[in-house]
Amino acid sequence: MQSTFLQRFIAKPEFGPLVLLVLELVVFWSINPDFLSLQNISNTLAFTVELGLIALAMTLLMTAGEFDLSVGSVFGFSAVIMWTLFNSDMMPLGLAFLCAIAISLFIGFVNGWFVTKLAIPSFLVTLGMLLVVRGTALYITDGFPQRTWNAEGQWLAEALVGDFYIGTFRVYMSMFWFVLAAIAAHFLLNGTKAGNWIQASGGNANAARARGVNVGRTKVLLFMLSSAMAAFAGIISSIRTSAANPNSGTGYELEVIAMVVIGGTVLTGGRGTIIGTVIGIFILRVMRNGIVLIGVPGLAYNIFIGAIILGMMALHSWLERRHNAGV
Amino acid sequence: MAEELVRMAGINKFYGRVHALRDVNLTVNTHEVVGLLGDNGAGKSTLIKVLSGAVPMTSGDIFVRGKKVEIKRTTDAIANGIETIYQDSALVPQLSIARNLFLGREPIKGPRLLNRMDQDKMNEVASTLLKRVGITKNIPPTTSISALSGGERQAVAIARAMHFDSQLIILDEPTNNLGVAETQGVLRFVREVRDTGHSCIFIAHNIHHVFQVVNRIVVMRGGKIIADNIDPKKSSIEEVERVITGEHLIEALGLDAG
Repeated sequence: MQSTFLQRFIAKPEFGPLVLLVLELVVFWSINPDFLSLQNISNTLAFTVELGLIALAMTLLMTAGEFDLSVGSVFGFSAVIMWTLFNSDMMPLGLAFLCAIAISLFIGFVNGWFVTKLAIPSFLVTLGMLLVVRGTALYITDGFPQRTWNAEGQWLAEALVGDFYIGTFRVYMSMFWFVLAAIAAHFLLNGTKAGNWIQASGGNANAARARGVNVGRTKVLLFMLSSAMAAFAGIISSIRTSAANPNSGTGYELEVIAMVVIGGTVLTGGRGTIIGTVIGIFILRVMRNGIVLIGVPGLAYNIFIGAIILGMMALHSWLERRHNAGV
Repeated sequence: MAEELVRMAGINKFYGRVHALRDVNLTVNTHEVVGLLGDNGAGKSTLIKVLSGAVPMTSGDIFVRGKKVEIKRTTDAIANGIETIYQDSALVPQLSIARNLFLGREPIKGPRLLNRMDQDKMNEVASTLLKRVGITKNIPPTTSISALSGGERQAVAIARAMHFDSQLIILDEPTNNLGVAETQGVLRFVREVRDTGHSCIFIAHNIHHVFQVVNRIVVMRGGKIIADNIDPKKSSIEEVERVITGEHLIEALGLDAG
């Protein structure tokens, strides 16, 4: 009985990534014990959750068989929009925040509409949107960062990125939002009717349609969620770093997709795991943080990330074949 | 005891200028398994696609229990108790048996807002259903479809149709690419479908399989039904084959087939 439990645990798609994460932690910690210092953990977590929020939404979208390359642009754009509206005294910060989120929802809706109604692959649609959104952000700011230091003392800023101490451990509010979003996404995907529809849309859209599942609407809503999460993360990041740079978030889309697939979600849809994504998020963030701490030049970071992606894909494919062979 | 279940009347279908169905009339009664035979291009698939809502007909009427119904898409057909099972295509391979069975009609528990699936209930019903269609092997309902054999997948699709009270279950080439034991399994499901009071249209290239389970054979050729009441108990396989290929006409006219 014990061995069957162990076998089932090993057969889970999250098992490989988990081993890798533990391995990373052990290696970095043994080379530099400061790696597991409270301060370093706190700093790593602060930045981790911003990409993590996007990765959670991306997991749901990829499970439905689509992906979104425009999230990095929306990440930069939404913060620019919010601070431009606020700094020009057009509206209070809360309203500017809602405006930025509403615009991101619209961007997601357009992505989804092109993909589902015009049947254009999400790669092309969201690549186009990436350029449109980034271009807009650069155009309205003339390429200059927006001031955000007016955020001091704003209740919204406190709710999004305020911090508190547990002993000497500094916790950012964004961590709280991330945990909440992760639990919600996990429940949505595995426990609800909507989750069943998401998986069915990615697994076999025709079969799902024949059972009355509204595949188009499911995907459009997920595109909107993905955009809104990217906007939310971008705004959190801008407050934390006191800068809304129209160029921020460049390249995030690929890092987010890497986090998701490393965690065990398949690029072709049908199967996704939020737990795996959370592990995938930490694998990449810990790697980025760890190689700097052990003295590897930061510029070499991408070599490791690339190697991890290739290694994990090989592992997942091997496990998949083993699974299909009935072992 | 047999009443009219589904009647298709004067069905025509054009694909561009190709006249794929020519004034087709077909009736399926309750408690009946109808074998639909015909060579490639005879119009069987088109007829089934019209009945299942996959393609719209150009003209004609469909009646279910005497009442005229509009079937414009697959969900219309299912709502009228007509379910078509294609090999492989009807299920989501990544999802479990239970999740597939209830896809689109998941039972909910707890607050409506949370939309929480009642997975215990789904698994319980799924287990019962699997036994009912004769899957005696111990397959837990949480098994994903991708781990099942072709015959087992069809059993799941058939179980789903039975559970959601489909009156007419259409099986499109259910025995293609299946081994001998698997084929026998599928034929057993078909008998089970009939014995529990459902009707069935069974399409297959293999006439031997059709002969084993149907009450009546309908033959199509050139977009028309050319024989609609062949009794498999009173006819031989060779006779039916001659109808399918049209040789019987040539013989009837006294011409030499050569």
